[in-house]
Amino acid sequence: MSVRMAAGAAALFATTALCGVAFAQGVEYVTWNDDGTVTLRADPEYKFEITVPRERLGTLFAPDYKPFEGETVTVLTLDSGPMGGISGPLHMFRPIWEELSGGTLEIALTPITDLYAKMMLDLNQGTGLYDAIIVGAFFYGDLVANGYMIPIDDYMASDEYPQWSYDVMPDSLRNLYTWGGVGYGVLNDADGQVLYYRSDVLNDPEHQAGFEAEYGYPMPVPPRTWQQLLDIATYFNGKNWDHHDDEPDSGMVLHLKVGEQGHYHFQSLSASFAMTPGPELDRYHNVYWFDPEDMTPLINSPGHVAALEFLQQLHATGPAAQVGWSLGEAWDYFLRGKSVFVFSWGDVGALCQDESRSVIRGNCAAAVLPSSERYWDHENKTWIETDEPGFVGNTTGGSWHGIISAFSDAPEATYSFLSLMAIEESSAWLGTYGWNGVDPGYSYQFVPPYGTADLQAYLDAGWHENDITTYLEAYAQNYNAPTILTYLRIQGAPEYWDIMDKNLSAAMSGEKTAQEALDDTAAAWEEITDRLGREQQLEAYQTAIGYKH
Amino acid sequence: MSRRSMEGGMRQSSFATALYSLLALVITLIFFFPLYWAISNSLRRPSETFTVAGLGVPFLDFTPTLDNWLAEIQVKEAYNAFTNSLIVSSVSTLLALLLGLPAAYALARFRFRTIPNKDLTVWFLSQRVLPPVATAVPFFFVFTTLGMQDSLISLILINATFILPFVVVIVRQTFQDLPIELEEAALVDGASHLRAFFRIAVPLAAPAIAASCLIMFAFAWNEYLFALILSLTEASVMPTHIAGGADTRGVQFWFVAVRSLIAMVPPVLLALIAQRYIVRGLTLGAVKG
Amino acid sequence: MRWSGKVGSLFLLPAVIWVLVFTIFPLGYSLYLSLHNVTSKVEVVGREEVPVLDADGNPVLKPNGEPRTRTEVIRELNRTFTWNDFANYGRAFRDGQVRDAAVFTGIFVVAGVVIEIVLGLVLAYLFNRPIIGRGLMRSIMILPIFATPIAIGYLFFTVFYEEGGPLQWTGLPWLSDPTMAKISVILVDIWQWTPFCFLVFLAALQGIPDEQIESARLDSNSNWDLWKTVILPALKPIIIIVGLLRLAEALKLFDIIATLTKGGPGTATQSYTYYAYTAGFKLQDYGYASALAFLLLIVVMVIVTFFFRFLRRTYE
Repeated sequence: MSVRMAAGAAALFATTALCGVAFAQGVEYVTWNDDGTVTLRADPEYKFEITVPRERLGTLFAPDYKPFEGETVTVLTLDSGPMGGISGPLHMFRPIWEELSGGTLEIALTPITDLYAKMMLDLNQGTGLYDAIIVGAFFYGDLVANGYMIPIDDYMASDEYPQWSYDVMPDSLRNLYTWGGVGYGVLNDADGQVLYYRSDVLNDPEHQAGFEAEYGYPMPVPPRTWQQLLDIATYFNGKNWDHHDDEPDSGMVLHLKVGEQGHYHFQSLSASFAMTPGPELDRYHNVYWFDPEDMTPLINSPGHVAALEFLQQLHATGPAAQVGWSLGEAWDYFLRGKSVFVFSWGDVGALCQDESRSVIRGNCAAAVLPSSERYWDHENKTWIETDEPGFVGNTTGGSWHGIISAFSDAPEATYSFLSLMAIEESSAWLGTYGWNGVDPGYSYQFVPPYGTADLQAYLDAGWHENDITTYLEAYAQNYNAPTILTYLRIQGAPEYWDIMDKNLSAAMSGEKTAQEALDDTAAAWEEITDRLGREQQLEAYQTAIGYKH
Repeated sequence: MSRRSMEGGMRQSSFATALYSLLALVITLIFFFPLYWAISNSLRRPSETFTVAGLGVPFLDFTPTLDNWLAEIQVKEAYNAFTNSLIVSSVSTLLALLLGLPAAYALARFRFRTIPNKDLTVWFLSQRVLPPVATAVPFFFVFTTLGMQDSLISLILINATFILPFVVVIVRQTFQDLPIELEEAALVDGASHLRAFFRIAVPLAAPAIAASCLIMFAFAWNEYLFALILSLTEASVMPTHIAGGADTRGVQFWFVAVRSLIAMVPPVLLALIAQRYIVRGLTLGAVKG
Repeated sequence: MRWSGKVGSLFLLPAVIWVLVFTIFPLGYSLYLSLHNVTSKVEVVGREEVPVLDADGNPVLKPNGEPRTRTEVIRELNRTFTWNDFANYGRAFRDGQVRDAAVFTGIFVVAGVVIEIVLGLVLAYLFNRPIIGRGLMRSIMILPIFATPIAIGYLFFTVFYEEGGPLQWTGLPWLSDPTMAKISVILVDIWQWTPFCFLVFLAALQGIPDEQIESARLDSNSNWDLWKTVILPALKPIIIIVGLLRLAEALKLFDIIATLTKGGPGTATQSYTYYAYTAGFKLQDYGYASALAFLLLIVVMVIVTFFFRFLRRTYE
């Protein structure tokens, strides 16, 4: 009987092997053109082809020279498969770089939720398996504190490697790629949350009249304040305003599953409730996480609590199931035409275009997140009401990008690979094509007046004109906002977030009140800060947010 | 299967038989449903994951596609994980067999005085009861110190330890049930204990040994906690590969369904083949199947 | 009848040594870790540029004629173990997440095991009757037992899907309500392990001698009496064994949580093992994770000891 089994397994195995072999056909990944340009091509399924001036690739790569022959570069990244977000581009560029460099690229994959743990295990234990790690910006606290990253300023200054620059980044993003003025991250993804709304539904005169009759003011499209957004979401929730099915539809959809990325919703929403905007960052202004004088958590301030209570109200305008949903399920709901709003990352705009999953192409507009009509004044401990709230931008998310491990024995080869994906032509292409999860944020990805991109490139990539114009505008405004939600980049950031995430989830599922959830979070944070060392944490926090005494 | 007729002294009208059969069928279908759902999911387009009507019957409720399957089997990592799982499961099974068979024989045939046989047996069993998380940190430290992270060898050693009880208890019972006279005759003829063990006991216990192998293989195949802690890339196995179906854009259920089915097929098939021994194996020999 | 003699020890010894090395040693180490603050950190103590050599051992040159070099990183692993006066255990007793995880795991184990045993008995009773297609149905029932748990978590996520899933018609908040999520996790366990209880009980039922049943039938015609007087007493030791085995296995709950709920909503379905794993491997607090693991081990040992006399009788 075991023989029969073995035969079965062998057959399965052989089939797999055959399919694998069938796909490795001859593609000319790199062509050195006579006019001094170089054409880079990926496997046909990616439809990737760019032509760049030879200087762009740096002086190391040459037609008859493979500078990293025999070297192996291992990159750890989150796993979304060879055609998926963030890991897809690595697969796409692998043969191109291998052809250019003569080296071998290994891609180590791990689920996004285990990435931090896998990385820290490798670094803390000295295994040193990875030359590069595609990190989220919130990993920086731990990486910097332990000296686990190699600064890349020297490589960037050298003409040997593919040429790119931080200058194309808005300051809000540049801050995430650097620490104390030193560059560590190689340009890749830009993350921030914006509001997506159904332009066809919100602009429907019938609904506009209906809304005005019910709420006593004309429906602002898109909503400027969170309070307006709640009214609109409430108005649409439970009505069958989308006719792709006969079921009632929702106002808002959220991804709230614990252990995933639900807490980001709270971060970007609460920014305009809980931050006191000011011209400069000081003890009371433009801070969000801790008091920069003594590390007292601000997370249970009245502003934060009100924001969480608001999020609970907003949750009521969506499907109850979303408490257990991660990104995919929530986005899917919006793409299927089941909710008017979703606020999330750039991926949504791209997914809207994919008609195998979306029924709303062309009606999927984007705008910067609304702001709150009142915010908490940390200095005077009072609420400030305002009719014209200032806008708070965010860089919520990972802004996933490569850093070089201090233990890499091939840092040059590693840098040459990462920077190949960072040159303008590569990065612009990645920003244009939505499937790869590398979302736009840089000047050459925005159209005028925000940047230098050509809208036609996006249309060629399959974007609907209605969607792409508002999308690019929303992101350009978001990253260049006067006030930006500060990013938590201190040692133990994932632990602080872990306990916050659990408490937020408890609040969203009704187990705790907003106040309880955030008080518990604050208490846990104090415990973590004391355990890790208050002085050290305070110092890192001040550096991370650029606080000056 | 049973030592007596199935009816076991029960008298039952044909109407009752039909009724009970129907009931049993319904229950069986309920238990089968989640597996059916995975099959159905794996044949749907991504947009149909949660929109398919009714019971998601292929051709009836949607047009099935093999795209997900084709995409998955082209991935180098999937291939790698499947191979690794095969290696880890079979080698650890073999290792456990090597250690466990003689132990099973000793417990069945010899009398130990310092520690009574039954206590020794129970001690072996306790490996199965031990919460794996209790040994996770030390294993992790030891293996990383030895530079054996992300290596199949670490996984093999650990899995062999945790599946060892199966071969000990299943085969011990079988050895005990064999007539001792054959071996005694051989001993009288001048054969060594080792020879008697290999030439007489092992061949006679072959079916039970094969069954214990299948069960051990299945358990090693499904092991996740240690694989998660110790494997990174090179030593990625099916369970860690399945868990990798979540990404920045959420869980790709269509791929996950494919991966889950690929992962489940070997252990489930083995279990079907070893049906006869499952009861004894899984009750650690306490109940004879 | 059994032989005595030293040869037996030679047969036994390799396995005994193996188990000692691979379980007793780690457990001792774990105890040690649990009593200390553990940190692990690597420092780069030096870098060296070494020339790159080709296959023949000659240095490889850059186009500009310079030899190519490669960086060799010299690193040092520093692990520190600081005795901390049982601080990890103290923290465990104060930690609300530990308490919640223990309570949930307890509920999960007790509810799951009791229901599985009862259902298993009912199914065994049903399948012990003459029914059509019994062999095939019995085979199908075996499938869940060996299905990969990590896959089962995902599988049930799609089954419990509240917007368009196959159970949507129930209108139940399968995974979004804290209480319901607990029930859902238990249901998955029931799905996977009831077949196991069923198989064992069916085998045991068929092992009851006909004569015993026949003679009981002479006294009473009621099925219930038959169960009370003959079948349940005969099954009792087996039910206890099955209960113990399920108890021990259920306490390990990890895989399904990892893919079905991630311990949520909030911490509603965070199992004890899942939390210990999070502490140790997600947040790298090895000492604390070891303390948590050791507390679980103590509970398991208490349970096993409690059942020990049944086990000893079984393996006579």
